[in-house]
Amino acid sequence: MSFALNEVEATAKKAARGAGHPWGLAEEAGKATRWLCAQGLDGVAILSTALSRDPSAAACPLAEGAALSDRAAALAGQETLLAEVAAPAMVLPFAALVARQTGQCVTVECKGAWATTDGRRLRLSATFPAAPAPLRLLCGGDPGALDDLRPMATRATPDDVAWQTLERLAHRTYAPATEESRMRGAGAGLSDND
Amino acid sequence: MMSKVRSPEIVMRLSRLGSLHQCRLSFMRQLTRRMAAENWRFSRPVFDIDAAGVGHAVYTAAGPERSYSLVAFAHDLPPEMRSDRVIATAWDATFTLFDGIPTKADIDRLSRNVPLQEAGRVSQSEISVSRANRSVRLWEHFVDALSQGRQPDPQRVAAVGYLMRTTAVYGSGKLGAADREIIAGRPEMAAPFQAEMLSVYLTRWFVRDLVEHMARMRGGDTAVPLDPALARCLGIGNSTGLGMAPFIVNHPVLFNNWIRAREEAIATVRALARASDRAQAQFTDLLTRSGLSVAKWHSEHPLQIAKLAQLKADLAALRQHLGAFDWSPEAPWDRLMHWAEGALSEEGQELLASLILEPYPDLVDGLGATMADDTPDAFIIDGAMTVAEMRRLIEASFGWALDLDWSARETCARAWYVSEEKLEPRLGERFEEPVEAYEQPLAPARDAALAHRALCDRDADQPISVFLQAHPEHRHTLRRAQISASAPYGEIRSNTIAADLMPIDMLRAKLSFFGATHFDPRSDRWVRICMYADAPYPPDLTARNADFWVYPEATA
Repeated sequence: MSFALNEVEATAKKAARGAGHPWGLAEEAGKATRWLCAQGLDGVAILSTALSRDPSAAACPLAEGAALSDRAAALAGQETLLAEVAAPAMVLPFAALVARQTGQCVTVECKGAWATTDGRRLRLSATFPAAPAPLRLLCGGDPGALDDLRPMATRATPDDVAWQTLERLAHRTYAPATEESRMRGAGAGLSDND
Repeated sequence: MMSKVRSPEIVMRLSRLGSLHQCRLSFMRQLTRRMAAENWRFSRPVFDIDAAGVGHAVYTAAGPERSYSLVAFAHDLPPEMRSDRVIATAWDATFTLFDGIPTKADIDRLSRNVPLQEAGRVSQSEISVSRANRSVRLWEHFVDALSQGRQPDPQRVAAVGYLMRTTAVYGSGKLGAADREIIAGRPEMAAPFQAEMLSVYLTRWFVRDLVEHMARMRGGDTAVPLDPALARCLGIGNSTGLGMAPFIVNHPVLFNNWIRAREEAIATVRALARASDRAQAQFTDLLTRSGLSVAKWHSEHPLQIAKLAQLKADLAALRQHLGAFDWSPEAPWDRLMHWAEGALSEEGQELLASLILEPYPDLVDGLGATMADDTPDAFIIDGAMTVAEMRRLIEASFGWALDLDWSARETCARAWYVSEEKLEPRLGERFEEPVEAYEQPLAPARDAALAHRALCDRDADQPISVFLQAHPEHRHTLRRAQISASAPYGEIRSNTIAADLMPIDMLRAKLSFFGATHFDPRSDRWVRICMYADAPYPPDLTARNADFWVYPEATA
């Protein structure tokens, strides 16, 4: 099925919250997933993998990515190494946030695959692995030099199972339907047949 | 010369936001002015509805570069299924705004999805999805009277104001429709909610056609068309629950831009040294017409009844004050506004603030283009900011909230949540219902107070990137605080989870920018309004009537 990017963002945010992340990080997850889908990647599948990580085996790419973005100014011209990160491609949107803040290109290397972004667009040499892997991040380079970019997408057609996973996690943020909630919570109760 | 704008401390209190009125910058008026200026053409290529009122119709609006079509589906709804709430599953009519002119195949596809609303799917070719229910009392009266060759009773028309009310208008990618980004670059869609406002404008035209059609089906040759003057009084109602309240909290930059545009317009007019005779005359005329609109504003809600009585007293006081007002000394508009601060209620003050903008399209209307949110990077947190600077930002918006006892029941009595029942947004009682685990982040003042307390334990010079490593639970609050530096009107300066919160104040703030009138609360969290009452119908839209229709003219 084809989804609007706004639907992807909203569902991704709720899913991250449902998976136990604080609201601020859930907001990052929504924007990041949307960004991946806008690059023509299946951000929904990548987030789904990230949210089902084994905490003892790999770091959370949302937390790692947000921390990178928060330290963007200090990363300019630097090389940064990350130990095993779940769903490594989930770090790419945060590399884009670093690029937007520093005005430099950011290149991420993972198991021989390279991704370079100027913040808006992406060049990808090969698909990033789905399994946890270490990452190397290089901040520097003229954004004007970026070519061979991926085409942008205005819709997302995610993997069905991954979408259902996000919806199931998102559902955890909804309060159960009860008659009391139905009557009190929306404050209607008056007849609409007037 | 730029006079000073009113500060957020004054403007962003909920009692004042809940007293806002439409103005020149309202999204409906921006739309009708543009369509008239650009000489848009309107047509009804399809009207295929049977004697039972079931079928579909297409209404097309053609602008200079693009066309948009309202595809309307009419249904025969059993009364027991009629509900304005999100949890409804069937409606009297359902709609989509199609990007262009739909083919037969498009309409077939839409006919299988649009009537289902949330349970259906639309595509990037559709910009909005909406539905409407009849005002049962007025609809039957209209069909009955017209079918027997009589015109409906104007007093009954005035008592309700509309034949149908929309109960949701979804845009921005909802249900699979086009994302905002797809249309945001088009001049006619650059201002906020233009597609939704166009959809409602065309819906009003459809509703007039449908009621005449149903009268003809019942009365045959005896039936008469609706008197155009009576038709023009009719608006489209809208019935709105809590969904709009989260919107203004979740879009601080956008909400800031709306409020700031209006405040800049007010400040610009207040700074004028003189008011020309023409400007005075126009203001006085529109004040009179405004009184006619207020006279037609009905509500059964005790709070709004009291506010309306006060507004009528305010209008009388304003007229009396103007009777002896000396326009010649410096800055007459500023003097009027100063007088109002001491003499009128917030309803009256805000009505006056909107009215003084009317004589100055050249000074005001350009601000309409600044009301969208085109700053996607505002989302990015600057982690290099120091703890001291962050504390200062929080204090600027929420200084009033830092010393409240946030553990006191009355301070945090409410919790916003989303029900699994069609994802209806609801407001619960934190200490009486099991909803806290599902609480949405819609209490920025409380969250700011909590974050501020945690920040006070940190070195002033520490970057917030370090603080956020230890306190990811405050991330959303620090983001909002950084946004507030450039969007100070984005934060409501009242407690949105207080025991005495009136959510309708949040709904009205948003609806007033649409250009709605006749706010009629049905409870503390539910409001009906009227849109496009007294506006020309699309085929009659001209540059002469495209702007001031919101102020009804006296009838002989």
